[in-house]
Amino acid sequence: MKNSEEAIGKVLAGLRDSEASPDLERRILAVIEERASRPSVATSRWAWSVALAGMVAACLFFAITAAYRHEHPSTQARRSAVPADSLSANRPEKETQIASLLPHEPIAPIKTVAPERKANPINTEDAVLLREMRAPSHPAPVAPLTNEEKLLLRAVHLGDPQVTAMLDPEERARQDVESEAEFQKFVEQSGKDVQESNQTTE
Amino acid sequence: MASVAGGSLILFSTESAQPEIDVAALVEMYSRLLFRVAHSVLRSRVEAEDVVQDLFVRVIERRRSLHAIRNMRVWLVRIAWNLALDRRRRIRPEQIDESFAESLTASTLPADERLFEAERMKAVLREMERLPRAERRVLLLSAIEELGTAEIAQVLGRSESAIRALVFRARTRLRERLEARGGLR
Repeated sequence: MKNSEEAIGKVLAGLRDSEASPDLERRILAVIEERASRPSVATSRWAWSVALAGMVAACLFFAITAAYRHEHPSTQARRSAVPADSLSANRPEKETQIASLLPHEPIAPIKTVAPERKANPINTEDAVLLREMRAPSHPAPVAPLTNEEKLLLRAVHLGDPQVTAMLDPEERARQDVESEAEFQKFVEQSGKDVQESNQTTE
Repeated sequence: MASVAGGSLILFSTESAQPEIDVAALVEMYSRLLFRVAHSVLRSRVEAEDVVQDLFVRVIERRRSLHAIRNMRVWLVRIAWNLALDRRRRIRPEQIDESFAESLTASTLPADERLFEAERMKAVLREMERLPRAERRVLLLSAIEELGTAEIAQVLGRSESAIRALVFRARTRLRERLEARGGLR
Protein backbone atom coordinates (compact mmCIF):
# COMPACT_ATOMS: atom_id res chain seq x y z
CA MET A 1 0.00 0.00 0.00
CA LYS A 2 2.79 2.33 0.86
CA ASN A 3 4.50 1.60 -2.42
CA SER A 4 1.47 2.39 -4.53
CA GLU A 5 0.72 5.57 -2.57
CA GLU A 6 4.30 6.61 -3.02
CA ALA A 7 4.17 5.95 -6.78
CA ILE A 8 0.92 7.88 -7.17
CA GLY A 9 2.35 10.76 -5.19
CA LYS A 10 5.49 10.76 -7.32
CA VAL A 11 3.55 10.89 -10.58
CA LEU A 12 1.30 13.67 -9.30
CA ALA A 13 4.31 15.59 -8.06
CA GLY A 14 5.91 15.19 -11.46
CA LEU A 15 2.83 16.69 -13.06
CA ARG A 16 2.74 19.49 -10.48
CA ASP A 17 6.39 20.43 -10.82
CA SER A 18 6.54 20.44 -14.60
CA GLU A 19 8.08 23.63 -15.91
CA ALA A 20 7.64 25.29 -19.25
CA SER A 21 10.48 26.64 -21.37
CA PRO A 22 11.85 29.95 -20.11
CA ASP A 23 11.00 31.68 -23.40
CA LEU A 24 7.41 30.48 -23.50
CA GLU A 25 5.94 33.87 -22.64
CA ARG A 26 8.12 35.71 -25.13
CA ARG A 27 7.13 33.30 -27.89
CA ILE A 28 3.44 33.64 -27.07
CA LEU A 29 3.66 37.43 -26.99
CA ALA A 30 5.38 37.49 -30.37
CA VAL A 31 2.69 35.28 -31.86
CA ILE A 32 -0.26 37.19 -30.45
CA GLU A 33 1.27 40.52 -31.42
CA GLU A 34 1.51 39.28 -34.97
CA ARG A 35 -2.04 37.96 -34.84
CA ALA A 36 -3.41 41.15 -33.29
CA SER A 37 -2.29 43.13 -36.33
CA ARG A 38 -4.52 40.98 -38.52
CA PRO A 39 -8.23 41.70 -38.80
CA SER A 40 -10.20 39.71 -36.30
CA VAL A 41 -12.46 36.81 -37.19
CA ALA A 42 -15.54 38.88 -36.42
CA THR A 43 -14.37 41.72 -38.70
CA SER A 44 -13.63 39.41 -41.58
CA ARG A 45 -16.97 37.66 -41.10
CA TRP A 46 -18.72 41.03 -41.09
CA ALA A 47 -16.92 42.05 -44.28
CA TRP A 48 -17.88 38.80 -45.97
CA SER A 49 -21.50 39.12 -44.96
CA VAL A 50 -21.66 42.72 -46.23
CA ALA A 51 -20.15 41.65 -49.56
CA LEU A 52 -22.58 38.77 -49.82
CA ALA A 53 -25.55 40.99 -49.00
CA GLY A 54 -24.42 43.45 -51.67
CA MET A 55 -24.20 40.73 -54.27
CA VAL A 56 -27.64 39.42 -53.38
CA ALA A 57 -29.11 42.94 -53.57
CA ALA A 58 -27.52 43.51 -56.99
CA CYS A 59 -28.86 40.18 -58.29
CA LEU A 60 -32.34 41.00 -57.01
CA PHE A 61 -32.23 44.44 -58.63
CA PHE A 62 -31.26 43.03 -62.01
CA ALA A 63 -33.83 40.25 -61.75
CA ILE A 64 -36.63 42.71 -60.91
CA THR A 65 -35.57 45.06 -63.70
CA ALA A 66 -35.47 42.23 -66.22
CA ALA A 67 -38.90 40.98 -65.11
CA TYR A 68 -40.37 44.47 -65.39
CA ARG A 69 -38.96 44.95 -68.90
CA HIS A 70 -40.26 41.56 -69.92
CA GLU A 71 -43.75 42.40 -68.71
CA HIS A 72 -43.86 45.89 -70.26
CA PRO A 73 -42.18 45.65 -73.66
CA SER A 74 -44.93 47.63 -75.46
CA THR A 75 -44.51 50.61 -73.16
CA GLN A 76 -40.79 50.65 -73.83
CA ALA A 77 -41.31 50.21 -77.54
CA ARG A 78 -43.92 52.95 -77.61
CA ARG A 79 -41.60 55.29 -75.82
CA SER A 80 -38.80 54.61 -78.24
CA ALA A 81 -41.13 54.79 -81.22
CA VAL A 82 -42.41 58.25 -80.42
CA PRO A 83 -40.25 60.75 -82.34
CA ALA A 84 -38.62 63.57 -80.52
CA ASP A 85 -40.31 66.13 -82.72
CA SER A 86 -43.74 64.98 -81.70
CA LEU A 87 -42.75 65.24 -78.08
CA SER A 88 -41.59 68.76 -78.52
CA ALA A 89 -44.71 69.54 -80.49
CA ASN A 90 -46.87 68.39 -77.63
CA ARG A 91 -45.26 70.69 -75.15
CA PRO A 92 -47.44 73.49 -74.01
CA GLU A 93 -46.96 76.72 -75.84
CA LYS A 94 -46.28 78.46 -72.58
CA GLU A 95 -42.97 76.66 -72.21
CA THR A 96 -41.94 77.57 -75.74
CA GLN A 97 -42.69 81.17 -75.06
CA ILE A 98 -40.62 81.13 -71.89
CA ALA A 99 -37.76 79.46 -73.69
CA SER A 100 -37.76 82.11 -76.40
CA LEU A 101 -37.57 84.84 -73.79
CA LEU A 102 -34.60 83.29 -71.99
CA PRO A 103 -30.97 83.69 -73.04
CA HIS A 104 -29.30 80.68 -74.68
CA GLU A 105 -27.44 79.68 -71.51
CA PRO A 106 -29.61 80.27 -68.49
CA ILE A 107 -27.77 80.94 -65.21
CA ALA A 108 -30.22 78.98 -63.15
CA PRO A 109 -32.78 76.41 -64.18
CA ILE A 110 -36.24 77.84 -64.50
CA LYS A 111 -38.95 75.96 -62.78
CA THR A 112 -42.00 75.56 -64.93
CA VAL A 113 -45.34 74.61 -63.62
CA ALA A 114 -46.25 71.18 -64.90
CA PRO A 115 -49.61 70.96 -66.65
CA GLU A 116 -52.30 69.57 -64.49
CA ARG A 117 -52.84 65.88 -65.06
CA LYS A 118 -56.20 64.77 -66.33
CA ALA A 119 -58.05 62.34 -64.21
CA ASN A 120 -57.63 59.05 -66.00
CA PRO A 121 -59.05 56.13 -64.06
CA ILE A 122 -57.96 53.60 -66.72
CA ASN A 123 -54.29 53.30 -67.36
CA THR A 124 -52.74 52.53 -70.74
CA GLU A 125 -52.42 48.84 -70.21
CA ASP A 126 -56.04 48.47 -69.16
CA ALA A 127 -57.18 50.54 -72.14
CA VAL A 128 -55.38 48.21 -74.54
CA LEU A 129 -56.94 45.19 -72.90
CA LEU A 130 -60.41 46.74 -73.00
CA ARG A 131 -60.03 47.68 -76.66
CA GLU A 132 -59.01 44.17 -77.57
CA MET A 133 -61.86 42.75 -75.54
CA ARG A 134 -64.48 44.98 -77.15
CA ALA A 135 -63.26 44.48 -80.74
CA PRO A 136 -65.83 42.69 -83.04
CA SER A 137 -65.08 39.10 -83.80
CA HIS A 138 -64.80 37.97 -87.45
CA PRO A 139 -65.17 34.51 -88.99
CA ALA A 140 -61.96 32.83 -89.63
CA PRO A 141 -60.66 33.08 -93.23
CA VAL A 142 -60.86 30.02 -95.48
CA ALA A 143 -57.92 27.94 -94.67
CA PRO A 144 -56.22 25.66 -97.19
CA LEU A 145 -56.67 21.93 -96.74
CA THR A 146 -54.41 20.33 -94.31
CA ASN A 147 -52.36 17.28 -95.21
CA GLU A 148 -54.78 15.08 -93.32
CA GLU A 149 -57.75 16.47 -95.20
CA LYS A 150 -55.98 15.91 -98.50
CA LEU A 151 -55.23 12.32 -97.53
CA LEU A 152 -58.85 11.78 -96.58
CA LEU A 153 -60.01 13.07 -99.93
CA ARG A 154 -57.60 10.77 -101.72
CA ALA A 155 -58.81 7.77 -99.70
CA VAL A 156 -62.48 8.44 -100.31
CA HIS A 157 -62.19 9.15 -104.02
CA LEU A 158 -60.21 6.33 -105.53
CA GLY A 159 -60.35 7.62 -109.09
CA ASP A 160 -63.24 5.37 -110.18
CA PRO A 161 -64.47 6.97 -113.43
CA GLN A 162 -68.09 6.33 -112.57
CA VAL A 163 -67.72 7.83 -109.14
CA THR A 164 -65.73 10.73 -110.58
CA ALA A 165 -68.43 11.21 -113.16
CA MET A 166 -71.09 11.18 -110.48
CA LEU A 167 -69.29 13.92 -108.71
CA ASP A 168 -69.50 16.10 -111.85
CA PRO A 169 -72.96 17.78 -111.85
CA GLU A 170 -73.15 18.10 -115.67
CA GLU A 171 -72.22 14.48 -116.24
CA ARG A 172 -74.65 13.45 -113.57
CA ALA A 173 -77.48 15.44 -115.23
CA ARG A 174 -76.65 13.91 -118.62
CA GLN A 175 -76.74 10.40 -117.15
CA ASP A 176 -80.04 11.17 -115.47
CA VAL A 177 -81.50 12.30 -118.82
CA GLU A 178 -80.22 9.17 -120.55
CA SER A 179 -81.60 6.84 -117.93
CA GLU A 180 -84.94 8.66 -118.06
CA ALA A 181 -85.03 8.35 -121.82
CA GLU A 182 -84.10 4.70 -121.59
CA PHE A 183 -86.86 4.12 -119.10
CA GLN A 184 -89.39 5.89 -121.32
CA LYS A 185 -88.22 3.84 -124.25
CA PHE A 186 -88.63 0.68 -122.24
CA VAL A 187 -92.11 1.67 -121.13
CA GLU A 188 -93.18 2.54 -124.69
CA GLN A 189 -91.71 -0.67 -126.05
CA SER A 190 -93.45 -2.76 -123.45
CA GLY A 191 -96.73 -0.95 -124.21
CA LYS A 192 -96.42 -1.76 -127.93
CA ASP A 193 -95.68 -5.40 -127.16
CA VAL A 194 -98.84 -5.67 -125.06
CA GLN A 195 -101.02 -4.17 -127.86
CA GLU A 196 -99.59 -6.57 -130.46
CA SER A 197 -100.25 -9.59 -128.31
CA ASN A 198 -103.91 -8.48 -127.75
CA GLN A 199 -104.45 -8.08 -131.45
CA THR A 200 -103.13 -11.54 -132.20
CA THR A 201 -105.38 -13.16 -129.61
CA GLU A 202 -108.45 -11.38 -130.97
CA MET B 1 -6.06 47.10 -32.50
CA ALA B 2 -3.00 46.32 -30.47
CA SER B 3 -0.22 48.43 -29.09
CA VAL B 4 2.90 47.49 -27.23
CA ALA B 5 3.58 50.00 -24.53
CA GLY B 6 5.94 49.48 -21.63
CA GLY B 7 6.28 45.79 -22.42
CA SER B 8 2.55 45.14 -22.31
CA LEU B 9 0.21 44.39 -25.12
CA ILE B 10 -3.00 46.29 -24.67
CA LEU B 11 -5.95 45.69 -26.92
CA PHE B 12 -8.21 48.55 -27.88
CA SER B 13 -11.75 48.36 -29.03
CA THR B 14 -12.21 50.09 -32.38
CA GLU B 15 -15.58 51.48 -31.33
CA SER B 16 -14.78 53.02 -28.00
CA ALA B 17 -10.97 53.35 -28.10
CA GLN B 18 -10.99 52.15 -24.51
CA PRO B 19 -8.45 49.57 -23.38
CA GLU B 20 -10.21 46.21 -23.38
CA ILE B 21 -7.73 43.87 -21.81
CA ASP B 22 -4.00 43.58 -21.27
CA VAL B 23 -3.17 40.32 -22.99
CA ALA B 24 0.50 40.56 -22.09
CA ALA B 25 -0.50 40.68 -18.45
CA LEU B 26 -2.68 37.63 -19.01
CA VAL B 27 0.26 35.80 -20.56
CA GLU B 28 2.55 36.71 -17.70
CA MET B 29 -0.01 35.85 -15.07
CA TYR B 30 -1.45 32.61 -16.40
CA SER B 31 0.87 31.02 -18.95
CA ARG B 32 2.70 28.86 -16.35
CA LEU B 33 -0.54 27.68 -14.76
CA LEU B 34 -2.08 26.95 -18.15
CA PHE B 35 1.04 25.08 -19.15
CA ARG B 36 0.71 22.81 -16.10
CA VAL B 37 -2.97 22.24 -16.81
CA ALA B 38 -2.18 21.20 -20.37
CA HIS B 39 0.83 19.20 -19.24
CA SER B 40 -1.22 17.21 -16.74
CA VAL B 41 -3.26 15.91 -19.66
CA LEU B 42 -0.58 15.64 -22.32
CA ARG B 43 2.53 14.86 -20.23
CA SER B 44 4.63 16.48 -22.95
CA ARG B 45 6.30 19.85 -22.61
CA VAL B 46 6.23 20.61 -26.34
CA GLU B 47 2.58 19.69 -26.74
CA ALA B 48 1.57 21.61 -23.62
CA GLU B 49 3.39 24.74 -24.79
CA ASP B 50 1.66 24.49 -28.14
CA VAL B 51 -1.67 24.33 -26.36
CA VAL B 52 -0.91 27.47 -24.35
CA GLN B 53 0.16 29.33 -27.47
CA ASP B 54 -2.96 28.18 -29.31
CA LEU B 55 -5.07 29.31 -26.39
CA PHE B 56 -3.73 32.86 -26.42
CA VAL B 57 -4.13 33.05 -30.18
CA ARG B 58 -7.79 32.21 -29.67
CA VAL B 59 -8.02 34.83 -26.97
CA ILE B 60 -6.64 37.48 -29.30
CA GLU B 61 -9.07 36.45 -32.04
CA ARG B 62 -12.03 36.81 -29.70
CA ARG B 63 -10.78 39.90 -27.96
CA ARG B 64 -14.01 41.83 -28.44
CA SER B 65 -15.97 39.44 -26.25
CA LEU B 66 -13.42 39.20 -23.45
CA HIS B 67 -15.03 41.91 -21.36
CA ALA B 68 -18.05 39.64 -20.83
CA ILE B 69 -15.98 36.98 -19.05
CA ARG B 70 -16.49 37.12 -15.29
CA ASN B 71 -13.73 34.82 -14.09
CA MET B 72 -10.84 35.03 -16.51
CA ARG B 73 -8.67 32.52 -14.63
CA VAL B 74 -11.29 29.77 -14.62
CA TRP B 75 -12.22 30.53 -18.22
CA LEU B 76 -8.62 30.21 -19.37
CA VAL B 77 -8.06 27.01 -17.40
CA ARG B 78 -11.18 25.51 -18.91
CA ILE B 79 -10.03 26.36 -22.44
CA ALA B 80 -6.56 24.98 -21.79
CA TRP B 81 -8.10 21.82 -20.38
CA ASN B 82 -10.37 21.29 -23.37
CA LEU B 83 -7.66 22.09 -25.90
CA ALA B 84 -5.33 19.62 -24.19
CA LEU B 85 -7.99 16.90 -24.24
CA ASP B 86 -8.56 17.53 -27.95
CA ARG B 87 -4.86 17.35 -28.63
CA ARG B 88 -4.42 14.15 -26.64
CA ARG B 89 -6.92 12.44 -28.93
CA ARG B 90 -4.75 13.29 -31.92
CA ILE B 91 -1.37 12.21 -30.56
CA ARG B 92 -0.08 8.79 -29.40
CA PRO B 93 -0.26 9.13 -25.61
CA GLU B 94 1.41 5.80 -24.83
CA GLN B 95 4.77 6.89 -26.22
CA ILE B 96 4.53 10.26 -24.49
CA ASP B 97 3.64 8.65 -21.16
CA GLU B 98 6.62 6.36 -21.52
CA SER B 99 9.08 9.22 -21.93
CA PHE B 100 7.40 11.14 -19.10
CA ALA B 101 7.69 8.13 -16.81
CA GLU B 102 11.38 7.87 -17.64
CA SER B 103 11.82 11.55 -16.87
CA LEU B 104 10.40 10.96 -13.39
CA THR B 105 13.14 8.52 -12.43
CA ALA B 106 16.20 9.88 -10.72
CA SER B 107 19.29 9.93 -12.89
CA THR B 108 21.46 9.02 -9.90
CA LEU B 109 19.93 5.55 -9.63
CA PRO B 110 21.63 2.52 -11.18
CA ALA B 111 20.33 1.49 -14.60
CA ASP B 112 18.34 -1.55 -13.44
CA GLU B 113 16.65 0.43 -10.66
CA ARG B 114 15.89 3.24 -13.05
CA LEU B 115 14.24 0.75 -15.38
CA PHE B 116 12.18 -0.67 -12.54
CA GLU B 117 11.19 2.79 -11.35
CA ALA B 118 10.18 3.84 -14.85
CA GLU B 119 7.99 0.73 -15.11
CA ARG B 120 6.28 1.67 -11.84
CA MET B 121 5.57 5.19 -13.09
CA LYS B 122 4.25 3.85 -16.38
CA ALA B 123 1.93 1.51 -14.50
CA VAL B 124 0.57 4.42 -12.45
CA LEU B 125 -0.02 6.52 -15.57
CA ARG B 126 -1.67 3.58 -17.32
CA GLU B 127 -4.02 2.93 -14.44
CA MET B 128 -4.71 6.63 -14.15
CA GLU B 129 -5.94 6.63 -17.73
CA ARG B 130 -8.21 3.68 -16.94
CA LEU B 131 -9.99 5.50 -14.15
CA PRO B 132 -13.55 6.72 -14.76
CA ARG B 133 -13.44 9.97 -16.67
CA ALA B 134 -14.69 12.25 -13.91
CA GLU B 135 -12.28 10.76 -11.36
CA ARG B 136 -9.35 10.97 -13.73
CA ARG B 137 -10.00 14.61 -14.55
CA VAL B 138 -10.42 15.62 -10.94
CA LEU B 139 -7.26 13.75 -9.94
CA LEU B 140 -5.21 15.44 -12.67
CA LEU B 141 -6.50 18.90 -11.86
CA SER B 142 -5.99 18.37 -8.14
CA ALA B 143 -2.33 17.72 -8.85
CA ILE B 144 -1.92 21.34 -9.89
CA GLU B 145 -1.01 23.26 -6.80
CA GLU B 146 -2.38 26.62 -7.93
CA LEU B 147 -5.88 25.27 -8.38
CA GLY B 148 -8.08 25.00 -5.32
CA THR B 149 -11.13 22.83 -4.93
CA ALA B 150 -13.46 25.74 -5.70
CA GLU B 151 -11.71 26.49 -8.99
CA ILE B 152 -11.63 22.84 -10.02
CA ALA B 153 -15.35 22.72 -9.30
CA GLN B 154 -15.90 25.75 -11.53
CA VAL B 155 -13.75 24.33 -14.33
CA LEU B 156 -15.54 20.99 -14.33
CA GLY B 157 -18.98 22.39 -13.51
CA ARG B 158 -19.44 20.40 -10.30
CA SER B 159 -19.87 21.20 -6.63
CA GLU B 160 -16.91 21.41 -4.30
CA SER B 161 -18.14 18.44 -2.26
CA ALA B 162 -18.41 16.38 -5.41
CA ILE B 163 -14.84 17.30 -6.30
CA ARG B 164 -13.59 16.23 -2.86
CA ALA B 165 -15.46 12.95 -3.12
CA LEU B 166 -14.15 12.33 -6.62
CA VAL B 167 -10.55 12.97 -5.56
CA PHE B 168 -10.90 10.54 -2.68
CA ARG B 169 -12.53 7.89 -4.85
CA ALA B 170 -9.95 8.32 -7.60
CA ARG B 171 -6.99 7.88 -5.29
CA THR B 172 -8.57 4.90 -3.56
CA ARG B 173 -9.47 3.19 -6.81
CA LEU B 174 -6.06 3.86 -8.29
CA ARG B 175 -4.30 2.48 -5.26
CA GLU B 176 -6.48 -0.61 -5.20
CA ARG B 177 -5.89 -1.33 -8.84
CA LEU B 178 -2.16 -0.88 -8.56
CA GLU B 179 -2.04 -3.26 -5.59
CA ALA B 180 -4.24 -5.73 -7.41
CA ARG B 181 -1.80 -5.75 -10.29
CA GLY B 182 0.94 -6.65 -7.81
CA GLY B 183 3.52 -4.85 -9.84
CA LEU B 184 4.32 -2.21 -7.28
CA ARG B 185 6.24 -3.90 -4.55
